[in-house]
Amino acid sequence: MFAAFHEAISDPFVTVRTHRDRLGRPVVGVMPAYFPLELIHAAGGYPVQLWGAGGAVEHADGHLQSYCCSVSRSLLELEMRGVTGRVDAYAFTSLCDTLVNLREVYRRLFAKPTVEFSIPAAQTRAARKAYLSTVIENVLKGLEAVTGRAASREDLRASAALYGRIRSLQRGIYRIRRQKPGVVNSGDFYAVVKAGFFLPPEDYEPLLARLAAELEALPPRTGRRPRLVVSGMVFEPVAAFGVLDGVPADVVDDDFANGWRSAAKGALRVDDLVAGITDYVYSGAPCCCIYHPESDRHAYLVEKVKAAEADGVLFWAIRFCEPDAFDRPQLAERLKQEGIPAFTLEMDLATGNFESVKTRVEAFCEMIGGLEV
Amino acid sequence: MTQLAAFKKMKELMTLYYIEAKTSTAKPVAWLTSGAPVEFVHAMDVIPVYPENYAAMCAASHQSVALMEAAEAAGFSQDICAYARTDFGQDLLQGGPAGGLPPPRFLIASTNICKTVIKWYEAVARKHRAPLFLVDTPFLHDGLNRETVDYTVAQFHDLERFLAGQLKRPFDRDRLLEVIRMSREATGLWRKTLDLAKTLPTPLTSLDAFIHVAPIVTLRGTRPCVDYYQLLYEEVAERAARRIGAIPEERYRVLWDNLPIWFRMRYFEKFFEERRCALVTATYADSWGGIAASQGVQTSDPIEALAVSYLNIYINFGFEERIRYLARLIDEFALTGFIMHSNRSCKPYSVGMYGLRGEVSRLTGKPGVVIEADQNDPRVFSEAQVETRLDAFLESMTPVKGLKLKV
Repeated sequence: MFAAFHEAISDPFVTVRTHRDRLGRPVVGVMPAYFPLELIHAAGGYPVQLWGAGGAVEHADGHLQSYCCSVSRSLLELEMRGVTGRVDAYAFTSLCDTLVNLREVYRRLFAKPTVEFSIPAAQTRAARKAYLSTVIENVLKGLEAVTGRAASREDLRASAALYGRIRSLQRGIYRIRRQKPGVVNSGDFYAVVKAGFFLPPEDYEPLLARLAAELEALPPRTGRRPRLVVSGMVFEPVAAFGVLDGVPADVVDDDFANGWRSAAKGALRVDDLVAGITDYVYSGAPCCCIYHPESDRHAYLVEKVKAAEADGVLFWAIRFCEPDAFDRPQLAERLKQEGIPAFTLEMDLATGNFESVKTRVEAFCEMIGGLEV
Repeated sequence: MTQLAAFKKMKELMTLYYIEAKTSTAKPVAWLTSGAPVEFVHAMDVIPVYPENYAAMCAASHQSVALMEAAEAAGFSQDICAYARTDFGQDLLQGGPAGGLPPPRFLIASTNICKTVIKWYEAVARKHRAPLFLVDTPFLHDGLNRETVDYTVAQFHDLERFLAGQLKRPFDRDRLLEVIRMSREATGLWRKTLDLAKTLPTPLTSLDAFIHVAPIVTLRGTRPCVDYYQLLYEEVAERAARRIGAIPEERYRVLWDNLPIWFRMRYFEKFFEERRCALVTATYADSWGGIAASQGVQTSDPIEALAVSYLNIYINFGFEERIRYLARLIDEFALTGFIMHSNRSCKPYSVGMYGLRGEVSRLTGKPGVVIEADQNDPRVFSEAQVETRLDAFLESMTPVKGLKLKV
């Protein structure tokens, strides 16, 4: 049921090379997070989402200090090692200080073009509007320079519909996981999500549709194990996906930028692109990296836990991710006030040994357990 | 530090400022980031309080560790900015040299110094149940443009409405224009004072500038601030005219990039003085001197000009512009080299710094060194490592020409 997804991520850049050669589209590496992939696709590009990978960092050490987050260090390492050689251009968002400067590092080191979606953080919609319009115009021009093709209104409409269907299908499998805990384990679930970062959307959509139908038909598991919601900026490295399957609990939902926070976004409206992208960025699920005066991550996370009938929250903290680290203490405090246990796991993408991670998660599950296993 | 008579006046000013902030019942208190447009706040007779300035004071008086430990015990990771941790700690313990900051009625943050301030101020706002107003000043990858200025001005108008709503009285635009005039006057004097360091030997060092920057951060837009920088300028100008050096027998002239290491100010003073090295100019001290204010967009409108000055902040520039700026300083201040502080707490300043060092050296022919430290956390400072790197750097420099050296 999951073989095609696991295959796609077993060596992601082989997957990318294969499809690039077949499609003949320039590959645009999309940095974390929330760059509207539809825009790249509509302009004739092949968007590939990059969230870093496990493995040692050696080359990037000469450019990024050890106190930079391991996602940025890993991304630069991949480029310097030539792993991302088939990536023709990069799309950045202004998500955090490190990513903003990372674009500058790329511009000094590499000849590959870069575009940036500068996400406005102004207090009011009115103040954001004109600026966002310029940002979008520049992004589209930048993409046209990469692909040699301007995205027409029809292209945008078709791409927006395709990605809208994909995210809707993803939300469907999230729903199935919530409603039938344990029916899909984390190793398989996140392979499905991650495959979408590398497969062309035309190939990914039918795989996802078939899987959703198959999962829908499965009967729920009997018995109830402790239920977890996992929260953090990035759920990586891939070697960690299966760790959560070795513990006596079911992950029933997540709050990751490369998980639900992206899947939660509805179809991009292209009739008024500024209004559409405003909704795309600020709606769905709140993120520690997206400022919006009306965004309340606390109420959101509490509601998410309750809706999933979860017993606790596991914070998956990638070290040196400041936006995530700033939010966590008050978020944990709010959960505590609501009687929801929370536990923080700190790690680095280069983490290779997950035994201690597993032991700590097991201890947390025992603490929140006392439930039938 | 260089013995300047103005120092006494500055201490007086800062003491009075903190006393008023702590005791005033008539005026509300707002917390601001160092790059926030304080002119709007002064125009409405609100007392601005600067957690960054206070955090630096805590570190300089060797009180930051206990405060950061309190924040860490409350769950804040050691990975986050040490200023923020110091601030959370002072708020928890009411600690530091002024016995803590008064609570904010509201907060104003601007992203021109970093995006970290969004998260920091959100946490404070949540704790104090105080509203936060954010002024978004986008990073200038390719220089300033009209759209970015208009975007910032639009937010200034929103800020006026925010203040009027919070204080339940109309925004005073006339008063704002007067405050802007005084703010420009003070920053102009500060810029002129810093430029006096072009004199050989330099009449003041960047370590002096790091101390004397306090009023321009906390009091710009007020008359006492203008008067203070007039006094400072005159004193330093006189020293320059009489060729009185800030350190004896200046042999090397260097630039300091990034924030100071607040908890080691005396140590660095002694270290550099012993080696006849003057820190002559610093990008950090320049941040309140209206650097490159004329770049990109020309305007005679005072509100637009204010937007330009808050966008044109060194760490809000792309690397191309940063390299150009550093090279210009190296040339104009007749520097023999430059020091870059890789500051664990400040990502916008530090990420990409290794590459910048190499590029600036290649462009100017001057040696540069990167030292690893932190602005406020002594626990990540290795004296031996820093000394070794700095000594090797000093050996690599050619002493400045034109000065009579005592052998």
